[in-house]
Amino acid sequence: MARLRRPSTKYSLGGLLSVGILLGVLFWGGFNTVLEATNTETFCISCHEMEVNVYKEYKETIHYNNRTGVRATCPDCHVPKDWTHKMIRKVQASREVWGKLTGSIDTPEKFEAKRLTLARSEWARMKAADSRECRNCHSFESMKPEMQKQRARKQHEMAIEDKMTCIDCHKGIAHHKPQGMTEEDEM
Amino acid sequence: MKKTMIAGAVGTVLAFAAGSALAAAPADWSKVAAKDITLFYPGVSPLEWIQKGTEHGGARALKKGETCADCHHEEAADMGKKMASGQKIEPSPIAGKAAFIPVKVQAAHDGANLYLRFSWKQPAASGAAKMDDKNPVKIAFMLESGGKVELADQAGCWATCHQDSRTMPGAAETKTKYVKGASLAEGKFYDLYQWRSGENKGFDGHVADTRVMEGGTALVSAEGKQDGDNWTVVFTRKLAGGQGDVALEAGKTYNFGFAIHDDSAAGRFHHVSLGYKLGIDAQADITAAKQ
Repeated sequence: MARLRRPSTKYSLGGLLSVGILLGVLFWGGFNTVLEATNTETFCISCHEMEVNVYKEYKETIHYNNRTGVRATCPDCHVPKDWTHKMIRKVQASREVWGKLTGSIDTPEKFEAKRLTLARSEWARMKAADSRECRNCHSFESMKPEMQKQRARKQHEMAIEDKMTCIDCHKGIAHHKPQGMTEEDEM
Repeated sequence: MKKTMIAGAVGTVLAFAAGSALAAAPADWSKVAAKDITLFYPGVSPLEWIQKGTEHGGARALKKGETCADCHHEEAADMGKKMASGQKIEPSPIAGKAAFIPVKVQAAHDGANLYLRFSWKQPAASGAAKMDDKNPVKIAFMLESGGKVELADQAGCWATCHQDSRTMPGAAETKTKYVKGASLAEGKFYDLYQWRSGENKGFDGHVADTRVMEGGTALVSAEGKQDGDNWTVVFTRKLAGGQGDVALEAGKTYNFGFAIHDDSAAGRFHHVSLGYKLGIDAQADITAAKQ
Protein backbone atom coordinates (compact mmCIF):
# COMPACT_ATOMS: atom_id res chain seq x y z
CA MET A 1 0.00 0.00 0.00
CA ALA A 2 2.80 2.37 0.91
CA ARG A 3 4.24 2.08 -2.63
CA LEU A 4 1.00 3.44 -4.05
CA ARG A 5 1.30 6.58 -1.93
CA ARG A 6 5.03 7.18 -2.45
CA PRO A 7 5.97 9.63 -5.29
CA SER A 8 7.62 7.93 -8.22
CA THR A 9 11.34 8.37 -8.57
CA LYS A 10 11.63 6.15 -11.63
CA TYR A 11 8.92 7.53 -14.06
CA SER A 12 8.54 11.09 -15.26
CA LEU A 13 5.33 13.01 -14.58
CA GLY A 14 4.79 13.27 -18.34
CA GLY A 15 5.16 9.51 -18.78
CA LEU A 16 2.77 8.80 -15.93
CA LEU A 17 0.22 11.28 -17.26
CA SER A 18 0.45 9.83 -20.78
CA VAL A 19 -0.07 6.30 -19.52
CA GLY A 20 -2.93 7.51 -17.30
CA ILE A 21 -4.66 9.33 -20.14
CA LEU A 22 -4.18 6.37 -22.48
CA LEU A 23 -5.59 3.95 -19.93
CA GLY A 24 -8.46 6.35 -19.22
CA VAL A 25 -9.34 6.60 -22.91
CA LEU A 26 -9.09 2.82 -23.31
CA PHE A 27 -11.24 2.23 -20.25
CA TRP A 28 -13.84 4.83 -21.21
CA GLY A 29 -13.89 3.74 -24.82
CA GLY A 30 -14.20 0.12 -23.81
CA PHE A 31 -16.96 0.88 -21.34
CA ASN A 32 -18.91 2.88 -23.89
CA THR A 33 -18.42 0.26 -26.59
CA VAL A 34 -19.76 -2.47 -24.31
CA LEU A 35 -22.59 -0.19 -23.17
CA GLU A 36 -23.59 0.58 -26.74
CA ALA A 37 -23.31 -3.08 -27.69
CA THR A 38 -26.06 -3.74 -25.13
CA ASN A 39 -28.15 -1.05 -26.82
CA THR A 40 -28.79 -3.01 -29.98
CA GLU A 41 -31.64 -5.18 -31.05
CA THR A 42 -29.19 -8.04 -31.67
CA PHE A 43 -28.20 -7.92 -28.02
CA CYS A 44 -31.83 -7.74 -26.83
CA ILE A 45 -32.95 -10.76 -28.81
CA SER A 46 -29.85 -12.76 -27.98
CA CYS A 47 -31.97 -13.75 -24.98
CA HIS A 48 -34.66 -16.18 -26.11
CA GLU A 49 -37.05 -14.66 -23.54
CA MET A 50 -37.17 -11.54 -25.72
CA GLU A 51 -36.81 -13.26 -29.07
CA VAL A 52 -39.71 -15.71 -28.77
CA ASN A 53 -42.15 -13.43 -26.98
CA VAL A 54 -42.06 -9.67 -27.36
CA TYR A 55 -39.84 -9.52 -30.45
CA LYS A 56 -42.12 -11.82 -32.43
CA GLU A 57 -45.12 -9.69 -31.50
CA TYR A 58 -43.32 -6.47 -32.37
CA LYS A 59 -42.52 -7.82 -35.85
CA GLU A 60 -46.26 -7.75 -36.61
CA THR A 61 -46.61 -4.09 -35.75
CA ILE A 62 -46.19 -0.74 -37.48
CA HIS A 63 -42.98 0.04 -35.61
CA TYR A 64 -41.35 -2.85 -37.46
CA ASN A 65 -42.82 -2.56 -40.95
CA ASN A 66 -44.58 0.46 -42.37
CA ARG A 67 -45.24 2.52 -45.46
CA THR A 68 -42.33 4.94 -44.98
CA GLY A 69 -39.63 2.43 -44.13
CA VAL A 70 -38.72 3.87 -40.73
CA ARG A 71 -38.10 1.31 -38.02
CA ALA A 72 -37.97 1.74 -34.28
CA THR A 73 -35.95 -1.07 -32.69
CA CYS A 74 -36.06 -2.28 -29.06
CA PRO A 75 -33.65 0.31 -27.58
CA ASP A 76 -35.33 3.19 -29.42
CA CYS A 77 -38.34 2.73 -27.17
CA HIS A 78 -36.87 1.08 -24.12
CA VAL A 79 -33.52 2.83 -23.54
CA PRO A 80 -33.26 6.61 -23.03
CA LYS A 81 -30.98 8.39 -25.51
CA ASP A 82 -29.39 10.92 -23.14
CA TRP A 83 -26.50 9.76 -20.98
CA THR A 84 -27.92 10.38 -17.48
CA HIS A 85 -31.23 8.63 -18.04
CA LYS A 86 -29.51 5.91 -20.03
CA MET A 87 -27.15 5.16 -17.11
CA ILE A 88 -30.03 5.11 -14.62
CA ARG A 89 -31.89 2.67 -16.86
CA LYS A 90 -28.80 0.50 -17.29
CA VAL A 91 -28.34 0.25 -13.53
CA GLN A 92 -32.00 -0.72 -13.19
CA ALA A 93 -31.47 -3.30 -15.92
CA SER A 94 -29.07 -5.19 -13.69
CA ARG A 95 -32.21 -6.70 -12.12
CA GLU A 96 -33.04 -8.13 -15.51
CA VAL A 97 -29.68 -9.91 -15.53
CA TRP A 98 -30.68 -11.52 -12.24
CA GLY A 99 -34.01 -12.51 -13.79
CA LYS A 100 -32.15 -14.09 -16.69
CA LEU A 101 -29.83 -16.03 -14.34
CA THR A 102 -32.70 -17.34 -12.23
CA GLY A 103 -34.88 -18.08 -15.28
CA SER A 104 -37.85 -16.05 -14.04
CA ILE A 105 -39.42 -15.82 -17.53
CA ASP A 106 -37.62 -18.58 -19.39
CA THR A 107 -40.75 -20.33 -20.70
CA PRO A 108 -43.69 -18.79 -22.59
CA GLU A 109 -45.93 -19.76 -19.67
CA LYS A 110 -43.71 -18.00 -17.14
CA PHE A 111 -43.50 -15.00 -19.46
CA GLU A 112 -47.30 -14.77 -19.75
CA ALA A 113 -47.66 -15.08 -15.98
CA LYS A 114 -45.37 -12.09 -15.50
CA ARG A 115 -46.37 -10.08 -18.56
CA LEU A 116 -48.74 -7.75 -16.72
CA THR A 117 -46.20 -6.97 -13.98
CA LEU A 118 -43.43 -6.36 -16.51
CA ALA A 119 -45.67 -4.24 -18.73
CA ARG A 120 -46.90 -2.16 -15.80
CA SER A 121 -43.34 -1.44 -14.76
CA GLU A 122 -42.41 -0.26 -18.27
CA TRP A 123 -45.64 1.76 -18.63
CA ALA A 124 -44.88 3.48 -15.31
CA ARG A 125 -41.35 4.33 -16.49
CA MET A 126 -42.66 5.72 -19.77
CA LYS A 127 -45.40 7.73 -18.10
CA ALA A 128 -42.99 9.19 -15.51
CA ALA A 129 -40.75 10.30 -18.40
CA ASP A 130 -43.71 11.82 -20.31
CA SER A 131 -43.19 9.20 -23.03
CA ARG A 132 -39.73 10.63 -23.71
CA GLU A 133 -38.68 7.76 -25.99
CA CYS A 134 -41.87 8.08 -28.10
CA ARG A 135 -41.21 11.80 -28.34
CA ASN A 136 -37.75 11.23 -29.79
CA CYS A 137 -39.70 10.71 -33.02
CA HIS A 138 -43.28 11.87 -32.39
CA SER A 139 -44.64 15.15 -31.06
CA PHE A 140 -47.97 16.92 -30.88
CA GLU A 141 -46.27 19.97 -32.43
CA SER A 142 -45.37 18.12 -35.61
CA MET A 143 -48.68 16.28 -35.75
CA LYS A 144 -51.39 17.53 -38.10
CA PRO A 145 -54.69 16.19 -36.77
CA GLU A 146 -56.46 17.27 -39.95
CA MET A 147 -54.35 14.76 -41.88
CA GLN A 148 -55.43 11.96 -39.59
CA LYS A 149 -58.46 9.72 -39.78
CA GLN A 150 -61.52 10.84 -37.85
CA ARG A 151 -60.94 8.63 -34.81
CA ALA A 152 -57.23 9.42 -34.42
CA ARG A 153 -57.93 13.11 -34.93
CA LYS A 154 -60.55 13.15 -32.18
CA GLN A 155 -58.41 11.17 -29.75
CA HIS A 156 -55.32 13.35 -30.31
CA GLU A 157 -57.29 16.56 -29.95
CA MET A 158 -58.61 15.30 -26.62
CA ALA A 159 -55.15 14.14 -25.55
CA ILE A 160 -53.68 17.61 -26.23
CA GLU A 161 -56.55 19.25 -24.36
CA ASP A 162 -56.11 16.97 -21.36
CA LYS A 163 -52.29 17.10 -21.43
CA MET A 164 -52.03 13.36 -21.79
CA THR A 165 -48.91 11.46 -22.71
CA CYS A 166 -48.46 8.93 -25.53
CA ILE A 167 -48.36 5.82 -23.32
CA ASP A 168 -51.68 6.75 -21.67
CA CYS A 169 -53.42 5.41 -24.78
CA HIS A 170 -50.82 3.56 -26.82
CA LYS A 171 -50.28 0.55 -24.60
CA GLY A 172 -49.90 -2.61 -26.61
CA ILE A 173 -48.80 -0.68 -29.69
CA ALA A 174 -45.75 -2.89 -30.23
CA HIS A 175 -46.49 -5.95 -28.08
CA HIS A 176 -49.54 -7.95 -27.09
CA LYS A 177 -51.59 -6.40 -24.33
CA PRO A 178 -51.35 -8.40 -21.11
CA GLN A 179 -54.33 -10.31 -19.77
CA GLY A 180 -55.88 -9.02 -16.57
CA MET A 181 -55.49 -5.30 -17.18
CA THR A 182 -57.76 -3.12 -15.06
CA GLU A 183 -59.50 0.19 -15.77
CA GLU A 184 -56.68 1.92 -13.81
CA ASP A 185 -54.18 0.62 -16.36
CA GLU A 186 -56.06 2.46 -19.09
CA MET A 187 -56.69 5.79 -17.42
CA MET B 1 -128.17 25.28 -31.50
CA LYS B 2 -128.96 22.61 -34.00
CA LYS B 3 -127.41 24.69 -36.81
CA THR B 4 -124.29 25.21 -34.74
CA MET B 5 -123.92 21.46 -34.16
CA ILE B 6 -124.40 20.71 -37.84
CA ALA B 7 -121.88 23.39 -38.78
CA GLY B 8 -119.45 21.97 -36.23
CA ALA B 9 -119.87 18.46 -37.58
CA VAL B 10 -119.43 19.63 -41.16
CA GLY B 11 -116.38 21.58 -40.10
CA THR B 12 -114.89 18.51 -38.42
CA VAL B 13 -115.52 16.34 -41.46
CA LEU B 14 -113.96 18.99 -43.71
CA ALA B 15 -110.96 19.30 -41.41
CA PHE B 16 -110.41 15.52 -41.51
CA ALA B 17 -110.82 15.48 -45.26
CA ALA B 18 -108.30 18.29 -45.58
CA GLY B 19 -105.96 16.55 -43.16
CA SER B 20 -106.01 13.26 -45.02
CA ALA B 21 -105.58 15.04 -48.33
CA LEU B 22 -102.46 16.75 -46.98
CA ALA B 23 -101.10 13.62 -45.33
CA ALA B 24 -99.11 12.01 -48.09
CA ALA B 25 -95.60 10.77 -48.56
CA PRO B 26 -93.44 12.93 -50.82
CA ALA B 27 -94.54 12.31 -54.40
CA ASP B 28 -90.96 12.51 -55.62
CA TRP B 29 -88.39 11.18 -53.15
CA SER B 30 -85.55 12.14 -55.45
CA LYS B 31 -86.19 15.75 -54.39
CA VAL B 32 -85.69 14.90 -50.72
CA ALA B 33 -82.12 15.15 -49.42
CA ALA B 34 -80.53 11.80 -48.65
CA LYS B 35 -78.07 11.08 -45.88
CA ASP B 36 -75.56 8.29 -46.51
CA ILE B 37 -75.12 6.11 -43.46
CA THR B 38 -73.06 2.94 -43.45
CA LEU B 39 -74.44 0.15 -41.34
CA PHE B 40 -71.81 -2.22 -40.05
CA TYR B 41 -71.65 -5.65 -38.51
CA PRO B 42 -71.18 -4.98 -34.78
CA GLY B 43 -69.90 -8.34 -33.49
CA VAL B 44 -70.19 -8.55 -29.72
CA SER B 45 -69.93 -4.90 -28.72
CA PRO B 46 -72.77 -4.30 -26.25
CA LEU B 47 -73.17 -1.23 -24.02
CA GLU B 48 -70.95 -2.82 -21.39
CA TRP B 49 -68.14 -3.36 -23.91
CA ILE B 50 -68.09 0.19 -25.28
CA GLN B 51 -67.64 1.54 -21.74
CA LYS B 52 -64.75 -0.76 -20.89
CA GLY B 53 -61.44 1.06 -21.24
CA THR B 54 -59.38 -2.12 -21.40
CA GLU B 55 -61.33 -3.26 -24.46
CA HIS B 56 -62.47 -0.09 -26.18
CA GLY B 57 -60.01 2.76 -26.64
CA GLY B 58 -62.93 5.17 -27.00
CA ALA B 59 -64.33 4.48 -23.52
CA ARG B 60 -62.50 7.55 -22.28
CA ALA B 61 -63.98 9.69 -25.05
CA LEU B 62 -67.41 8.36 -24.21
CA LYS B 63 -66.91 9.39 -20.57
CA LYS B 64 -65.99 12.85 -21.80
CA GLY B 65 -69.29 13.09 -23.64
CA GLU B 66 -68.24 12.35 -27.21
CA THR B 67 -70.68 10.41 -29.39
CA CYS B 68 -69.81 7.14 -31.14
CA ALA B 69 -70.27 8.86 -34.50
CA ASP B 70 -67.78 11.62 -33.52
CA CYS B 71 -65.01 9.04 -33.86
CA HIS B 72 -66.44 6.24 -36.00
CA HIS B 73 -68.81 7.71 -38.60
CA GLU B 74 -66.18 7.67 -41.35
CA GLU B 75 -64.82 4.22 -40.59
CA ALA B 76 -68.01 2.19 -40.15
CA ALA B 77 -67.17 -0.05 -43.14
CA ASP B 78 -63.67 -0.81 -41.82
CA MET B 79 -65.04 -1.66 -38.39
CA GLY B 80 -67.56 -4.00 -39.99
CA LYS B 81 -64.75 -5.78 -41.86
CA LYS B 82 -62.81 -6.41 -38.66
CA MET B 83 -65.80 -7.86 -36.85
CA ALA B 84 -67.43 -9.82 -39.68
CA SER B 85 -64.12 -11.54 -40.36
CA GLY B 86 -63.70 -12.44 -36.68
CA GLN B 87 -60.51 -10.38 -36.37
CA LYS B 88 -62.14 -8.51 -33.52
CA ILE B 89 -64.89 -9.16 -30.93
CA GLU B 90 -66.73 -11.84 -32.89
CA PRO B 91 -66.29 -15.30 -31.40
CA SER B 92 -68.38 -17.01 -34.09
CA PRO B 93 -67.81 -15.31 -37.46
CA ILE B 94 -70.11 -16.34 -40.32
CA ALA B 95 -68.17 -17.07 -43.50
CA GLY B 96 -69.24 -14.73 -46.28
CA LYS B 97 -71.22 -12.43 -43.97
CA ALA B 98 -71.45 -8.89 -45.35
CA ALA B 99 -69.28 -6.53 -43.33
CA PHE B 100 -71.29 -3.38 -43.99
CA ILE B 101 -74.29 -2.01 -45.87
CA PRO B 102 -74.36 1.57 -47.20
CA VAL B 103 -77.88 2.97 -46.80
CA LYS B 104 -79.53 6.17 -48.01
CA VAL B 105 -81.89 7.69 -45.45
CA GLN B 106 -84.49 10.29 -46.38
CA ALA B 107 -87.04 11.94 -44.14
CA ALA B 108 -89.97 14.29 -44.59
CA HIS B 109 -93.13 15.27 -42.76
CA ASP B 110 -96.39 16.99 -43.56
CA GLY B 111 -97.48 18.23 -40.16
CA ALA B 112 -99.36 15.02 -39.46
CA ASN B 113 -97.00 12.20 -40.37
CA LEU B 114 -93.29 11.50 -40.50
CA TYR B 115 -92.07 9.65 -43.58
CA LEU B 116 -88.80 7.77 -43.40
CA ARG B 117 -87.37 6.13 -46.47
CA PHE B 118 -84.44 3.71 -46.42
CA SER B 119 -82.84 2.39 -49.59
CA TRP B 120 -79.92 0.04 -50.02
CA LYS B 121 -78.41 -2.61 -52.21
CA GLN B 122 -78.72 -6.09 -50.84
CA PRO B 123 -75.28 -7.59 -50.17
CA ALA B 124 -74.37 -11.06 -51.41
CA ALA B 125 -75.84 -13.87 -49.32
CA SER B 126 -73.44 -15.74 -47.07
CA GLY B 127 -75.03 -19.11 -47.74
CA ALA B 128 -75.10 -19.80 -44.02
CA ALA B 129 -78.08 -21.41 -42.28
CA LYS B 130 -81.09 -19.09 -41.99
CA MET B 131 -81.71 -17.81 -38.51
CA ASP B 132 -85.10 -16.34 -39.41
CA ASP B 133 -86.48 -18.48 -42.22
CA LYS B 134 -89.65 -16.36 -42.52
CA ASN B 135 -87.88 -13.08 -43.22
CA PRO B 136 -84.89 -12.71 -45.52
CA VAL B 137 -84.73 -9.01 -44.60
CA LYS B 138 -85.91 -6.94 -41.65
CA ILE B 139 -85.28 -3.26 -41.07
CA ALA B 140 -85.89 -1.41 -37.82
CA PHE B 141 -85.33 2.07 -36.45
CA MET B 142 -85.47 3.43 -32.93
CA LEU B 143 -86.14 6.89 -31.56
CA GLU B 144 -85.39 8.36 -28.17
CA SER B 145 -86.40 11.73 -26.87
CA GLY B 146 -84.34 14.06 -24.73
CA GLY B 147 -81.50 11.74 -23.80
CA LYS B 148 -83.46 10.50 -20.81
CA VAL B 149 -82.04 7.02 -21.25
CA GLU B 150 -78.44 6.87 -20.06
CA LEU B 151 -76.00 7.36 -23.00
CA ALA B 152 -78.87 7.71 -25.51
CA ASP B 153 -77.49 11.08 -26.67
CA GLN B 154 -74.11 9.52 -27.41
CA ALA B 155 -74.51 5.86 -28.21
CA GLY B 156 -77.76 5.50 -30.16
CA CYS B 157 -79.19 1.98 -30.08
CA TRP B 158 -76.29 0.75 -27.95
CA ALA B 159 -78.19 2.02 -24.90
CA THR B 160 -80.58 -0.91 -25.49
CA CYS B 161 -77.95 -3.51 -26.36
CA HIS B 162 -76.56 -5.53 -23.49
CA GLN B 163 -74.18 -8.42 -23.01
CA ASP B 164 -76.97 -10.53 -21.48
CA SER B 165 -79.45 -9.97 -24.31
CA ARG B 166 -80.40 -13.01 -26.38
CA THR B 167 -77.92 -14.30 -29.00
CA MET B 168 -75.03 -12.68 -27.11
CA PRO B 169 -72.51 -15.35 -26.05
CA GLY B 170 -73.85 -17.15 -22.97
CA ALA B 171 -77.05 -15.08 -22.76
CA ALA B 172 -80.50 -16.54 -22.06
CA GLU B 173 -82.79 -16.90 -25.08
CA THR B 174 -85.58 -15.21 -23.15
CA LYS B 175 -83.78 -11.95 -22.42
CA THR B 176 -84.40 -9.22 -25.00
CA LYS B 177 -83.02 -5.73 -25.49
CA TYR B 178 -83.75 -3.36 -22.59
CA VAL B 179 -82.76 0.01 -21.20
CA LYS B 180 -81.43 0.72 -17.74
CA GLY B 181 -83.89 2.51 -15.44
CA ALA B 182 -86.74 2.02 -17.92
CA SER B 183 -89.96 3.96 -17.39
CA LEU B 184 -92.58 4.58 -20.06
CA ALA B 185 -94.20 7.24 -17.87
CA GLU B 186 -90.94 9.18 -17.51
CA GLY B 187 -90.02 8.77 -21.16
CA LYS B 188 -87.08 6.46 -20.44
CA PHE B 189 -87.52 4.11 -23.37
CA TYR B 190 -86.77 3.73 -27.06
CA ASP B 191 -89.59 3.80 -29.57
CA LEU B 192 -89.13 0.91 -31.99
CA TYR B 193 -90.41 0.30 -35.54
CA GLN B 194 -89.71 -2.65 -37.77
CA TRP B 195 -90.66 -3.93 -41.18
CA ARG B 196 -90.29 -7.62 -42.03
CA SER B 197 -89.97 -8.65 -45.66
CA GLY B 198 -91.38 -12.18 -45.43
CA GLU B 199 -94.38 -11.30 -43.32
CA ASN B 200 -94.61 -7.98 -45.19
CA LYS B 201 -95.73 -6.31 -42.00
CA GLY B 202 -94.84 -3.28 -39.94
CA PHE B 203 -94.42 -3.37 -36.17
CA ASP B 204 -94.71 -0.51 -33.68
CA GLY B 205 -93.20 -1.43 -30.35
CA HIS B 206 -90.73 -0.07 -27.84
CA VAL B 207 -87.76 -1.01 -25.68
CA ALA B 208 -88.18 -0.33 -21.97
CA ASP B 209 -87.40 -2.95 -19.30
CA THR B 210 -87.99 -5.43 -22.09
CA ARG B 211 -88.53 -5.19 -25.84
CA VAL B 212 -92.08 -5.42 -27.13
CA MET B 213 -92.85 -5.44 -30.84
CA GLU B 214 -96.44 -4.21 -30.64
CA GLY B 215 -98.63 -1.84 -28.68
CA GLY B 216 -97.60 1.45 -30.27
CA THR B 217 -100.23 3.57 -32.00
CA ALA B 218 -98.07 5.84 -34.13
CA LEU B 219 -97.26 3.60 -37.09
CA VAL B 220 -99.53 4.23 -40.07
CA SER B 221 -97.79 1.95 -42.56
CA ALA B 222 -94.53 0.29 -43.43
CA GLU B 223 -94.02 -0.65 -47.04
CA GLY B 224 -91.03 -2.32 -48.56
CA LYS B 225 -90.19 -3.40 -52.04
CA GLN B 226 -87.35 -5.14 -53.77
CA ASP B 227 -86.31 -4.12 -57.25
CA GLY B 228 -83.55 -6.48 -58.31
CA ASP B 229 -80.98 -6.17 -55.56
CA ASN B 230 -82.29 -2.82 -54.43
CA TRP B 231 -84.50 -2.49 -51.39
CA THR B 232 -86.66 0.49 -50.53
CA VAL B 233 -88.67 0.67 -47.34
CA VAL B 234 -90.88 3.61 -46.38
CA PHE B 235 -92.25 4.00 -42.87
CA THR B 236 -95.12 6.37 -42.23
CA ARG B 237 -95.83 7.25 -38.63
CA LYS B 238 -97.95 9.90 -36.98
CA LEU B 239 -95.95 12.70 -35.41
CA ALA B 240 -98.16 12.21 -32.37
CA GLY B 241 -98.15 8.92 -30.54
CA GLY B 242 -99.45 7.05 -27.54
CA GLN B 243 -97.66 5.30 -24.73
CA GLY B 244 -94.46 3.71 -25.93
CA ASP B 245 -94.27 6.11 -28.88
CA VAL B 246 -91.99 9.13 -28.99
CA ALA B 247 -94.20 12.10 -29.85
CA LEU B 248 -92.45 14.22 -32.48
CA GLU B 249 -92.59 18.02 -32.57
CA ALA B 250 -91.41 20.50 -35.15
CA GLY B 251 -88.20 22.28 -34.16
CA LYS B 252 -86.88 19.38 -32.09
CA THR B 253 -84.26 16.68 -32.61
CA TYR B 254 -84.40 13.07 -31.50
CA ASN B 255 -81.91 10.28 -31.01
CA PHE B 256 -82.13 7.96 -33.96
CA GLY B 257 -80.56 4.68 -34.99
CA PHE B 258 -81.48 1.87 -37.34
CA ALA B 259 -80.52 -1.66 -38.25
CA ILE B 260 -81.00 -4.21 -41.00
CA HIS B 261 -81.27 -7.95 -40.46
CA ASP B 262 -79.89 -9.05 -43.81
CA ASP B 263 -79.38 -12.61 -45.06
CA SER B 264 -82.20 -14.02 -42.85
CA ALA B 265 -80.35 -12.95 -39.72
CA ALA B 266 -81.73 -12.70 -36.20
CA GLY B 267 -80.74 -11.15 -32.89
CA ARG B 268 -77.32 -9.57 -32.75
CA PHE B 269 -76.29 -10.80 -36.22
CA HIS B 270 -77.57 -7.59 -37.80
CA HIS B 271 -75.98 -4.52 -39.35
CA VAL B 272 -76.36 -1.40 -37.26
CA SER B 273 -75.94 2.34 -37.50
CA LEU B 274 -74.16 4.48 -34.98
CA GLY B 275 -76.34 6.93 -33.08
CA TYR B 276 -77.53 9.91 -35.15
CA LYS B 277 -80.01 12.78 -34.69
CA LEU B 278 -83.28 13.09 -36.52
CA GLY B 279 -84.63 16.63 -36.63
CA ILE B 280 -88.20 17.62 -37.39
CA ASP B 281 -87.79 20.96 -39.17
CA ALA B 282 -84.54 21.22 -37.22
CA GLN B 283 -80.91 20.97 -38.29
CA ALA B 284 -79.69 17.43 -37.56
CA ASP B 285 -77.87 14.50 -39.19
CA ILE B 286 -81.16 13.71 -40.89
CA THR B 287 -83.73 16.44 -41.17
CA ALA B 288 -87.38 15.81 -41.88
CA ALA B 289 -88.50 19.04 -43.50
CA LYS B 290 -92.16 19.89 -43.97
CA GLN B 291 -93.35 19.17 -47.48
